Amino acid sequence: MKQTLIVFVQDEPGVLNRISSHIRRRNFNIESLIAGQTERKDITRMTVVLNEPDRTKQRTVVNSLKELIDVYDVIDATEIDSHIREYALVKVALKKDDLNAVNKIVESVHGKIIDGTSDATIFELTGYEKEVESVIKALEKYDILEIVRSGKVAMVAGNSSKHQPELTKSEPNWTTSRILESY
Amino acid sequence: MKKRILTGAEIIWECIIREGVDVVFGYPGGAILPAYDALNNYRDKIHHVLVRHEQGATHMADGYARASGKVGVAMATSGPGATNMVTGIATAKLDSIPIVCITGQVPKAAIGSDAFQEVDISGTVLPVTKYSYLVMDIYKLASTIKEAFAVARSGRPGPVLIDIPKDVQNETIEFVYPDEPVKLPGNNSPLEASEKHIQDAADLINNAKKPVILAGHGILLSGASQEIIQLAETASIPIGWTLLGAGSVPASHPLNMGMMGMHGEFAVNNAIQDADLLIACGMRFDDRVTGNIKTYSPDSKKIHIDIDPSEINKNIPVDVGISCDLRTAMTQLLPHISRKQNNEWIKTISGWQSESLGRDIINVQTDTLYGAQVIRDIWKETNGDALIVTDVGQHQMLEAQYYDHEEPNTLLTSGGLGTMGYSLPAAIGASFSRQNKDIFVIVGDGSIQMTITELATAVQENANIKIAIINNGYLGMVRQWQQLFYDARYTETPISSPDYLKIAEAYGLPGYRVHKRKEIPGVIQEVKKIKGPVLVEFVVEQHDMVYPMVPAGADLNAMISRPKNKQFQEA
Repeated sequence: MKQTLIVFVQDEPGVLNRISSHIRRRNFNIESLIAGQTERKDITRMTVVLNEPDRTKQRTVVNSLKELIDVYDVIDATEIDSHIREYALVKVALKKDDLNAVNKIVESVHGKIIDGTSDATIFELTGYEKEVESVIKALEKYDILEIVRSGKVAMVAGNSSKHQPELTKSEPNWTTSRILESY
Repeated sequence: MKKRILTGAEIIWECIIREGVDVVFGYPGGAILPAYDALNNYRDKIHHVLVRHEQGATHMADGYARASGKVGVAMATSGPGATNMVTGIATAKLDSIPIVCITGQVPKAAIGSDAFQEVDISGTVLPVTKYSYLVMDIYKLASTIKEAFAVARSGRPGPVLIDIPKDVQNETIEFVYPDEPVKLPGNNSPLEASEKHIQDAADLINNAKKPVILAGHGILLSGASQEIIQLAETASIPIGWTLLGAGSVPASHPLNMGMMGMHGEFAVNNAIQDADLLIACGMRFDDRVTGNIKTYSPDSKKIHIDIDPSEINKNIPVDVGISCDLRTAMTQLLPHISRKQNNEWIKTISGWQSESLGRDIINVQTDTLYGAQVIRDIWKETNGDALIVTDVGQHQMLEAQYYDHEEPNTLLTSGGLGTMGYSLPAAIGASFSRQNKDIFVIVGDGSIQMTITELATAVQENANIKIAIINNGYLGMVRQWQQLFYDARYTETPISSPDYLKIAEAYGLPGYRVHKRKEIPGVIQEVKKIKGPVLVEFVVEQHDMVYPMVPAGADLNAMISRPKNKQFQEA
């Protein structure tokens, strides 16, 4: 099963590199990773989708990400009630006669035409992965020129404190000086 | 307080002095020149050790950190100076050693232009550091250095690199040391365990019939030796240790069974496989201690206590995983443990132990010298009280088997990364903190030749280290694998050595060569009296093997045992 993580990191240069490099080093396959601003200026929010079927390994990746200096918190959206959605643009070369039929397909998921020139039409789709995929599949019988998908973003449903990320910095604990005590 | 206008270079020294640093291992060069120039203003507080290769600087910082419990500091220039540090940084990462490496970088404007001696070192070391910084703003320099030290020594310790462009070192600002404590988003493992976890762990321990404590490096790092011994004694639990856990429990303690893993004792591995409870303390179930993980200790419940939550369930699934400071967890756990005896279990293990003792090379008269005999005799002549720094290979495993450590932090060795060339520089680093101890380097003829340049550093600093080269004319551990698994095709493992006595003479330190076992006590006593570096070459049996051995990936108790005495007498 796919695993969708919401990762809250401090907005520092190179942080995207740190997160993706860490996941790669642990030998996890990233299906999509997107990062963007949040309601807090100093925090970047990433949604990472991983292809790791093993539940134990899935938990390990959450724990190991939490250990990184830059990471405030990680929420595993796969485990809780949440909305995982994506955005896609599809460019299709359409014959005039097909326009109505195609419009119907796209409107079924509240998509719309954002550009219609004589030789190509661009549709905008948003929704759950399944919805976006079903539309793309339906469009396959026409002449698709290009597809771009945003990767997924996720948000947890409701406002339960249980699923609130911990977005504070704290003083690290250190005990290594205890070696000194033994002399 | 009056205003102090300082350069970035001066701020570097001001900040590391405030972190308690009094020795820095380094090598100057173009991009770090401003920092070296500023060093002249801080000579009274900082001793700088000029190394002969930047890898040596990082190993020295590592050895210093392991021996002192403080953060070790290494310094180098940009480009090749910085990349030479990578091996030492990775060594520290795998063994959780707090070091801070400071590198010069080309000026800000030149970054990204492939300038002379430019390497993106903060990016290069990303996967082998706990954190790496590139300081582009002099106003962030002091807070970055303070944070770097906090990161290095907090939680699970590790190496940190700070890359500082040359112009940032030259700029000046009013120096204000940041007083507020360092706060970080992550890396905040709790000190304490939850009550539920402690209760679950206590229930498992109180109900176990065949428990084993797995003692790892975390015991040394968190200073938990006393608590581990108390747990073992209260509930009658035998202890096996990992290579880096050597000395966590005194070797002479009756419940200490010895080392586990690939070259661990037969009795320990058998006990682990047969146990009904493993209590893993500050260790990480590395493949060298588990053997085949599918068949690892199949019938046991497992408790794992480690400060790094990502270690829990990483290699071996456990029943109770506690991620917090080990000593604190032990202090919480001990009041819940009932006193009991596991006589049957201890007796079973003793049976396995006596079997392996009877086969031991150190009790046998041989014509040629054996590595194990050298190490056992060094142990005898130093009353088991020396600080030992080993390199990597057969001699490393023999040290772990035949030098009994009574105290924590008396064995420094590259366990995780297995870095050949580690021992000589690490011992030089250690000599700056443990002047009350005899420091012995135990090193093979392959390993010494990797960092032999640091002999010059040892002589320059008059480092009080005794270098015991166990010379068998082979890359012995690789040769052993070739003998066992590659039909004795010794491809590129015979290795020549220079004349070590001439090497010693050329570098300016006393040198000895030993062929016979009966010469060992006299030589060791003699070199102990010399203040400063000494080199002793022990010419040993070429085709010696390290037993017992679990072949890589085999079941932990499928060991190749030590050969019987008889074979040695015939040989």
